[in-house]
Amino acid sequence: MTATVDSKTRQVEIAPTDNCEDETCKTFVLHNEDHTLGNALRYMIMKNPQVDLCGYSVPHPSEKKINLRIQTRGTSATDVLKQGLSELTTVCDHILTTFETSVVYYKEMNPSSESKEHPEPMDT
Amino acid sequence: MANIEEIRTRVRLGEFEVTNGHTTDFPGSYSGYDDAWNQVKFEKKFHIDVIRLTDRDLEFDMVGIDCAIANAFRRILLSEVPTMAVDKVFIYNNTSIIQDEVLAHRLGLIPIKVDPRLFEYRTADDTEGTPEDTVVLELKVRCKKNPNATKDTTDPDVLYVNHKVTTNNIKWLSQGNQAALFKDGIHPADEDVLIAKLRPGQEIDIKMHCVKGIGKDHAKFSPVATASYRLLPEITLTQPVEGALAEQLKQCFAPGVIEIDNIDGVLCVVSVDSAVCCRCAVGCVCVLRARVAAARKDTCSREVLRHDTIKDCVKLTRVRDHFIFSVESTGALPPDVLVTEAIKVLQAKCRRVLQELEDVDSDDQ
Amino acid sequence: MDTPKDKDQPPAKPQVMLYICGECHHENEIKARDPIRCRECGYRIMYKKRTKRMVVFDGR
Repeated sequence: MTATVDSKTRQVEIAPTDNCEDETCKTFVLHNEDHTLGNALRYMIMKNPQVDLCGYSVPHPSEKKINLRIQTRGTSATDVLKQGLSELTTVCDHILTTFETSVVYYKEMNPSSESKEHPEPMDT
Repeated sequence: MANIEEIRTRVRLGEFEVTNGHTTDFPGSYSGYDDAWNQVKFEKKFHIDVIRLTDRDLEFDMVGIDCAIANAFRRILLSEVPTMAVDKVFIYNNTSIIQDEVLAHRLGLIPIKVDPRLFEYRTADDTEGTPEDTVVLELKVRCKKNPNATKDTTDPDVLYVNHKVTTNNIKWLSQGNQAALFKDGIHPADEDVLIAKLRPGQEIDIKMHCVKGIGKDHAKFSPVATASYRLLPEITLTQPVEGALAEQLKQCFAPGVIEIDNIDGVLCVVSVDSAVCCRCAVGCVCVLRARVAAARKDTCSREVLRHDTIKDCVKLTRVRDHFIFSVESTGALPPDVLVTEAIKVLQAKCRRVLQELEDVDSDDQ
Repeated sequence: MDTPKDKDQPPAKPQVMLYICGECHHENEIKARDPIRCRECGYRIMYKKRTKRMVVFDGR
């Protein structure tokens, strides 16, 4: 059937560990995510100087989830994850505006291609 | 220091291996470098140049970003930007030689030119569909003998009427207020895509429900024929390459990558073309020297490294943060819109996880 | 398995059976003991019609 990505179930959970008190080392399980978010997020989190280790894995190719491991030098792993996510959102914002500006610029520079942009509606 | 800079910013193509393939600019990897994430630094460095944009194709350079994020956009373009495609096929009659299930599969793969942003996802238990989530199409064709055909012809185009069923035969049946919303109508993205062939007496009578979906669910929902990127190639000549070697070097690359200049200073009298040696029998002063004219055109074949005579004269690298994207739309949306949608999808993913984390926090308190 | 009892069944409707000529595609009504032959062109190969029931497939 049609796969609607959104579901009411929990998207994120924290994998149980022996030492639950340790806020600096955590494994997050992100459901319905794959390398697309996993690798981008890993990069953003590894760019944080507070982070000792960040890595992710896809435990099984047919299970739609990833395990994201974060170990920090003292700050809370959850905060680091939140920071990574919001930084990635900001990056996307900037890429989006830059891309749209470039497209507008291109269309101004190449008005001839404008006619191709909106082809005549098809005859039926 | 120069070497460290190269390790950080270039991927090296060796004769037998690729080195420095990984991103290494993380805090703590190099002393003397501040590799912590800095939005201001990123925005200063980052730029996008659109190279070519038509209604179906887009080529653009995305410079100053890591492959982890560039790859996310590529993956989202392929599998997570939604489009509309035929999902349910109601076969009232099909007496053609193509089997029902094969025909249904074929119809599913036809790109439909309709903006998916104007539709909702259909819920899993819904079989009827509503005007908000379903486009209904009809394909009704009956083949006949052409009574006006000349006696001795064997050409099926003359002998029969309607013997080729194409995307032109697909008609849109407007539901609810769709007719007001889609003034230009809803059609397949391409005309004249052959669906089936008929012979006199055979008939196809089908209704189809198009629904919104993503490429992850089925490839028919993928909005791109292909979306890919490559890193900008870079060719450095480590020493002057002249004479016969220059010609050999030129032959090792795609046309236009290496050009040869005649650098004797004086334009040769005999040969008008400055890049060709005059081959004057006596006193030829031509010096033909190779020059990297357009590294961008390089296919990265590494052919040059197979020749011992010139392999030490060149260094082949690729710029780690310069992505040459190529996006080919199937026709539902223009390629530039697909890219903006892809960026929004990644943003939505981040926001969803972030929201979930906030919710967990508020639950704990 | 029980054999269906004639008493319980509604009286069989006089259903018209139409066959399609293999040559001229004319629809012919053929009853029991009729010759299998097209009324239009005399062709002797007849085809059954496809089911009138609508069939639903997934386009995938």
